[in-house]
Amino acid sequence: MVIDLKRCIGCYGCQLSCKAEHGTPPGVFFARLLKHEEGKYPSVRQMFLPVLCNHCTDAPCVDVCPTEASHYCEGGIVDIDHDKCVGCRACMMACPYNNRYFNAERNWYFGDAGPTPYELARSARHDTGVVMKCNFCTPRLAEGKLPACVANCPTTARTFGDLDDPNSTVSRLIKDRGGFTLHPEAGTSPNVYYLAP
Amino acid sequence: MSLLKKKPAAAADDAWLASSCALCYGTCSILAHRVDGTVIKIEGNPDSVVGKGKLCGKGVSGIMTHYDPHRLTKPLKRTNPVKGIGVDPGWKEISWDEALDTVARELKRIRDEDPRKLTVMRTTTVTASRVPFQAFSAGFGTPNFSVAGGGLHCGNGAHLISGIMHASWSVVPDFEYCNYAVYFGASKGHSAGHASCSNMGLAADARARGMRMVVVDPMCNFAAAKATEWVPLRVGTDAALALAMCNVMVNELGIFDAPYLKAKTNGPYLIGPDQLYLRDPATKEPLVWDEKKGVALPYTAVPAEDMALEGNYQVDGVPCRPSFVILKEHLRKFTPEQAEKITTVPAADIRRLGGEFGREARVGSTIVIDGVTVPYRPVAAIAFRGAQGHMNSVYNFLAVDLLNQMVGAADVAGSCLGFNPASHGFPETGRLRYVPKAGPDGLMVTGMWMGYHYPYPIAEPRLPTNLGLQDLFVMGMTSPFLTSSDQEELWQTFSVPYRPEALLNFGCNIMMSVGTSQTVAESLKKYKFIASIDLYLTEFSDFCDIVLPDCDYLQSTDSRSNFPFIFNLPGGMGEWCWSIRQPADQPQGEQRRHSEVLLDLAERIGMTPDFNAALNASINLAPPYRLAPDRRYSWDEVCDAELKCNFGAERGLDWFKQHGVIKWPKKPEEVYWRAFEDVRVPIYWEFLKVAGDKIAAIAEPRGVSIPREYYEPLPDFLPCPSHQCEHKGFDYFAFYYRDIIHTNSFTMENPWLDEAARLDPYSYTVAIHKDTALSRGLAHGDVVDIETEGGRKVTGRLCLTEAIHPEGLGIAALAGHWGDGMPIAKGKGVFFNELLEVDWDHSSPVNQNLDLCVKVKVTKLGAKP
Repeated sequence: MVIDLKRCIGCYGCQLSCKAEHGTPPGVFFARLLKHEEGKYPSVRQMFLPVLCNHCTDAPCVDVCPTEASHYCEGGIVDIDHDKCVGCRACMMACPYNNRYFNAERNWYFGDAGPTPYELARSARHDTGVVMKCNFCTPRLAEGKLPACVANCPTTARTFGDLDDPNSTVSRLIKDRGGFTLHPEAGTSPNVYYLAP
Repeated sequence: MSLLKKKPAAAADDAWLASSCALCYGTCSILAHRVDGTVIKIEGNPDSVVGKGKLCGKGVSGIMTHYDPHRLTKPLKRTNPVKGIGVDPGWKEISWDEALDTVARELKRIRDEDPRKLTVMRTTTVTASRVPFQAFSAGFGTPNFSVAGGGLHCGNGAHLISGIMHASWSVVPDFEYCNYAVYFGASKGHSAGHASCSNMGLAADARARGMRMVVVDPMCNFAAAKATEWVPLRVGTDAALALAMCNVMVNELGIFDAPYLKAKTNGPYLIGPDQLYLRDPATKEPLVWDEKKGVALPYTAVPAEDMALEGNYQVDGVPCRPSFVILKEHLRKFTPEQAEKITTVPAADIRRLGGEFGREARVGSTIVIDGVTVPYRPVAAIAFRGAQGHMNSVYNFLAVDLLNQMVGAADVAGSCLGFNPASHGFPETGRLRYVPKAGPDGLMVTGMWMGYHYPYPIAEPRLPTNLGLQDLFVMGMTSPFLTSSDQEELWQTFSVPYRPEALLNFGCNIMMSVGTSQTVAESLKKYKFIASIDLYLTEFSDFCDIVLPDCDYLQSTDSRSNFPFIFNLPGGMGEWCWSIRQPADQPQGEQRRHSEVLLDLAERIGMTPDFNAALNASINLAPPYRLAPDRRYSWDEVCDAELKCNFGAERGLDWFKQHGVIKWPKKPEEVYWRAFEDVRVPIYWEFLKVAGDKIAAIAEPRGVSIPREYYEPLPDFLPCPSHQCEHKGFDYFAFYYRDIIHTNSFTMENPWLDEAARLDPYSYTVAIHKDTALSRGLAHGDVVDIETEGGRKVTGRLCLTEAIHPEGLGIAALAGHWGDGMPIAKGKGVFFNELLEVDWDHSSPVNQNLDLCVKVKVTKLGAKP
């Protein structure tokens, strides 16, 4: 995936369309928007940084998982098999990006008022006691759709494709605009690239 | 409250329903995915041009508003007659019959006595609700119509002047062709607003294409965060900057579009020593100087190219000059050096910006679009809520638009565009045709408008009979005097012959959306009866007698989500698009659609014929689709009539429910209509001077002084009350801004949006400049009191930032709920409006806009936890 920070306006569309797609519990985000500032007044800029699992080629979360719950799928997507996950959270310690979440206990957005019909339909299926994260919307990909955050982005900041194909749009964007990854020093070979704002 | 149980899966239900969002007034087209009776996803509708298949964070989160267990499900009546902030009304559940009977009885009594004693109020967020509520008011016979904080906060200036100068509700850069855009307190394409989601995509394309964007704003967020250049300025001084840029362009560099000014503005009209037009004695038409013939003639008798823009003339012994040259001279006083003192923007920057704007305009150039040659002016200066939210609202907005007008960058390719001011109609039926046309003195009258009066021509000021005094202050739209602390004094002063007795509300939380709560509360207590159709119990409900549970946007039908096109259909080339709203879910409990409630009330009051007649007029229904007087229609039938009337008998509500939208291509002659329609716009507001004189003639004998500096024909910088505060320790100009994940006071109750806002550094905090805060001993996370010189006070948590003007104090959205009806929202963020006085002294004496900036003292309460 390539995220063009020049196009991104920090609308939270990714974070919230992801939540709507997956029905993630309170406090759990497969996609997030971070804001920070660069510079000193008046040469200062508010910056928007959408983040998600980087689906690293050398994913430390996979390496440390004692039950092989975290695993590479065909095509390079890193996913978690919740039948195997025992919730030890070693992967969360290992991930340099803080993009994994532990679903400790059943939690509803309206608290004591209980689950909404939507949450019963979409959130109740999530196991508790396991670690959760983005899987690039694998079920959507299987239907020939783009990941929810990509399909919905109002500024078309996100592009999804095959990084192994040098002629794919994602490969060309990275080449033409000097795409970079977050925390390259961690040595995980992330597969989410960013284009400079 | 109990949850709805999931319906048994008797029949496999898996449907994607084309409908419309209502999380903000942008009203993007959506697809609601319903499986076995539960809405499980909302996505953008890729078939529609409104959002183009994308939604902002609010739009995708609508499910959690829809399924909010705190929504009202039963009609309620109060049992405690005492009304006050936080006083428990003692709600008791009642039947719809009892509720409707009670409301109808009160309204009927009032209608029989004097229908003007009813005020009707509705939220702007559900855009399609304008028609039923406006028609209900008209049918009932009351002119007292309110949108609570709407207009007062967002657009009495922006909409009025966009209407007069661009024949539309708002303005936007022509994103497809613009190369250089200057935003003054606007976020178009980067946050909220009209066509917000569509504009996000268009602005991103423009950015990628290389459009330079300069954003003038006290805070570097949203548009400024994406700008090529952020220009921080002192809050409320936009006019001073814009006029100085104009001066640089016109006087220092000599850049202006003379053919445009001659043909499309009143720049050639001759002005006498009395500041008024010289008129032809016979036709009363304004005179221009014919340079070829060397005589003054009516503007209709002279080819535009022969009209003089400069020079001194004598007509029948009266010395006169074209209005353009008077404007040109007027601009000389706005030197960049003087403007620097007012705005804090360095003079060198002002000079550079004025020059860049003028040069990038490419005066004289044309471009061919779809085979049609149109003028090409790839620059745009736009403004919105930030710049116009002051007492100087009119001049602030007009000053910004003069940048466009000087170089002909108005509704031509690449320029400042109104949203769809001209439509040649749906090709198959010829319906929906409207174009701007020439009105009195050749000046433009919009082809399409919504509610209140047309921006131009302006009505004759008269002793007011409207509670908002708009019939005296004829440039006003929404009025502060429906809620102000001095309303009774003003009504007495102007001998308003009645007092409000009943208020019918739909969806507004006026306790939060106008100004300081005590003032609003006192104004509400004066009503004998208040009924409200709402989703939740709000802070406003504390003052209601009857509360009726509304259906929300996923449970309702509407026939015109994005019409009039001047409001929230994206501007620029592309396609016309008509969308609808259809229900994706059933009502919960006893919720009923507001439109049906109005039809019921009309029937019970005995005003169905009047309501139907008003609906016919409001929707512009033509035979055979006009509603018959005596029949009680369902709202679905009304929607069906409108759709068939516009799109043919085969395309009624059922067709739209199936197909979602209908589209047809826009033509360059529509989008860039300015070159094709023979109308002029005023760069010299002669009529403002005339209106000021007439208003003063009525008001001043009654002791209300009309500050005439606001009624001069040419714009000026006039300071806000905040600029005149000299109390020691009041160092900051507090202002609020629209947050990208919140709409007014509504969305804090949505737990997904609330969660995002809690994680956002700015949404629920008070942005303060880091260095100035530290020098006052204030630290990040400190809880502070924010206090006005009038003693209004709110509490908030500081966010120290570099991205704000050192004198600014930025507060997001309309948060800080205190009521229990919206428990997710309660206690989140800061209630900025508590700081705002609502009275004559804080309202524009021209367009009644409230002044929305306030000088404050910031005092630390306690250290961070």
